[in-house]
Amino acid sequence: MSTTAHVPAPPGDPLESAPVLVGRPDDRALTESLLRPVLEPTRKGWAALLLLLLGGMGFWLLALYKTLFVGIGVWGNNIPVAWAFDITNFVWWIGIGHAGTLISAILLLFQQRWRTSINRFAEAMTLFAVAMAGMYPIIHLGRPWLFWWLIPYPSTNYLWPNFKSALPWDVFAISTYGTVSVLFWYIGLVPDLATLRDAAKDRTRRIVYGILSFGWRGSARHWQHWRVGYLLLAGLSTPLVVSVHTIVSFDFAISQLPGWHTTIFPPYFVAGAIFSGFAMVLTLMIPARKAFGFEQVVTLRHLDNMAKVILATGLMVAYGYVMEWFIAWYSGNANEWFAFWNRVAGPYQLVYAVQIFCNVVAPQILWVRAARTNVLVLFCVAILVNVGMWAERFVIIAVSLTRDFIPSSWANYSPTWVDWTLLFGSMATFGVLFLLFLRFIPAIPISEVKELRKELEHEDHHRAATRAAGEGA
Amino acid sequence: MTSLVLGEFGEEAALLEAARVLRAKGIDGVDLHSPYPLHGAEEALGLRRSTVPLVALVAGVTGAVSGYLLQWWTVGVDWPLNVGNRPPHSPPAFIPVTFELGVLFASLAIFVGLLFAYFGFPRVHHPVFEVEAFRSATIDGLWLSAAVGRTEADGVAADLRRLGARQISIVPTEEAP
Repeated sequence: MSTTAHVPAPPGDPLESAPVLVGRPDDRALTESLLRPVLEPTRKGWAALLLLLLGGMGFWLLALYKTLFVGIGVWGNNIPVAWAFDITNFVWWIGIGHAGTLISAILLLFQQRWRTSINRFAEAMTLFAVAMAGMYPIIHLGRPWLFWWLIPYPSTNYLWPNFKSALPWDVFAISTYGTVSVLFWYIGLVPDLATLRDAAKDRTRRIVYGILSFGWRGSARHWQHWRVGYLLLAGLSTPLVVSVHTIVSFDFAISQLPGWHTTIFPPYFVAGAIFSGFAMVLTLMIPARKAFGFEQVVTLRHLDNMAKVILATGLMVAYGYVMEWFIAWYSGNANEWFAFWNRVAGPYQLVYAVQIFCNVVAPQILWVRAARTNVLVLFCVAILVNVGMWAERFVIIAVSLTRDFIPSSWANYSPTWVDWTLLFGSMATFGVLFLLFLRFIPAIPISEVKELRKELEHEDHHRAATRAAGEGA
Repeated sequence: MTSLVLGEFGEEAALLEAARVLRAKGIDGVDLHSPYPLHGAEEALGLRRSTVPLVALVAGVTGAVSGYLLQWWTVGVDWPLNVGNRPPHSPPAFIPVTFELGVLFASLAIFVGLLFAYFGFPRVHHPVFEVEAFRSATIDGLWLSAAVGRTEADGVAADLRRLGARQISIVPTEEAP
């Protein structure tokens, strides 16, 4: 096929589109190139982008201020549409976070080497996405300063949280997920912070990174426990990430509303989470690898593999859509069937069309290898998937609520400027956090890339030896 | 009065061999320092299996059990809660929180245990940092450190030189590291 001609396959494995590490740079060169974004002087482009996003964050703070001081009446929410942009944004952000855990934990357990160079990056995305997500349910409480009522403690009200409702499950799931993600991320970061401490030339950085790395000295006695602990945290994160989006889907699935009351929700939500999360990793990684010169460690192979994951999870999501339709028809339940028909032909049909185009149609181009290794195509598909998954969450959550059981209680929903600002402002805030991460923390795990290089070198030798033996015979 | 003898090696194999030789001579305080986990270091240093999994298991079970008990006591006993006419103590509804707390406790135990118990951190003033060249241990250097009595230090340094160390330093310390 002519489309694959420009992608040179490395000798050895014809199924690999590109190597996971270009060249075999030595440890010092690797350290220098990977620490360059942190140690070099501030770039104008970075500062300009930060300033722009800080502006966006300002609007976000304004919308938060409005929400907190006036009340959630400033949103477009009504009865019956009590959950709209807020919960849509919550589910969207938390789903995005899941790809980070998938890359760092599940792919580690499956010994997928291509995860090595992108796991820190993806996990930072998880942390910031969870921070953004966690904010929405809290401000949606109406009186967010009383959020600690969700925590079981012996109060003078003699009241406990209702542990039979999915909402307190959510509290435990999200807070556990946020905490474990931070711990996993930080334990992986400690050796690299020490590298940063030792590579830095100025006193301030040496002190700050010296404190942050707790005095790591690369001891073999420490590495031994570190490896076991890191692997165990990966093992714990794996079922955790599946449980979190399952529990998020329970918020809907265990209710009775047509369009929500569906047993397929847990797996379908998890697949959708990974789908949107990988799209977000690509959205962030494609510009970042270019800007910071990470092409040597984040190769076309990584992009290709991520595109394959997007394609696979996109098909799972599409299966979920089809199955929802099938069950709505097969159940013979008029309300259920109406809820689905309302999505296609109701007042929000445009959002549904966007959902189907972005999530089902657009990713199909990723069947073509040339598209998977073309950064521009990938970037566009990733953006479309981000948009499509937001549309999907909106369709499931808000559109289902607009038409519940009794026609007299039906009402449409339209967002206010505060709703829009909270959505776009959270993206700007996420961007601010991400830019700070890229500037102050090694975005590519240095010690893990060194270990990977070591393994690859070992294999190179082995392959060369086998070839020599073959020729000799 | 003790000393810390530090030696930098160019090759992994030589480093591991040096550790084996020193240990065979009866020196116990040998450690290796490298920018990434070394293959074979556990064997060369004669380390026993890590006990981190046991810590995680105990903490995880504790978390899960306390999570379940919390739910059972609050909505099952202290204030029996009738939801959908299910019994106040309904195990299926208690699964998610039980699981989450198990994972939370296990993860916290791994993190806190590693940093503060296993590694003895924070310890930003370890004697190894007295040697400026030791900075390479997290970049590209392979180092061996041996904590020995002050009188033995010169002998160990000579051994390290014979075993192929490129540079050697002796740091006087007050106590065994």
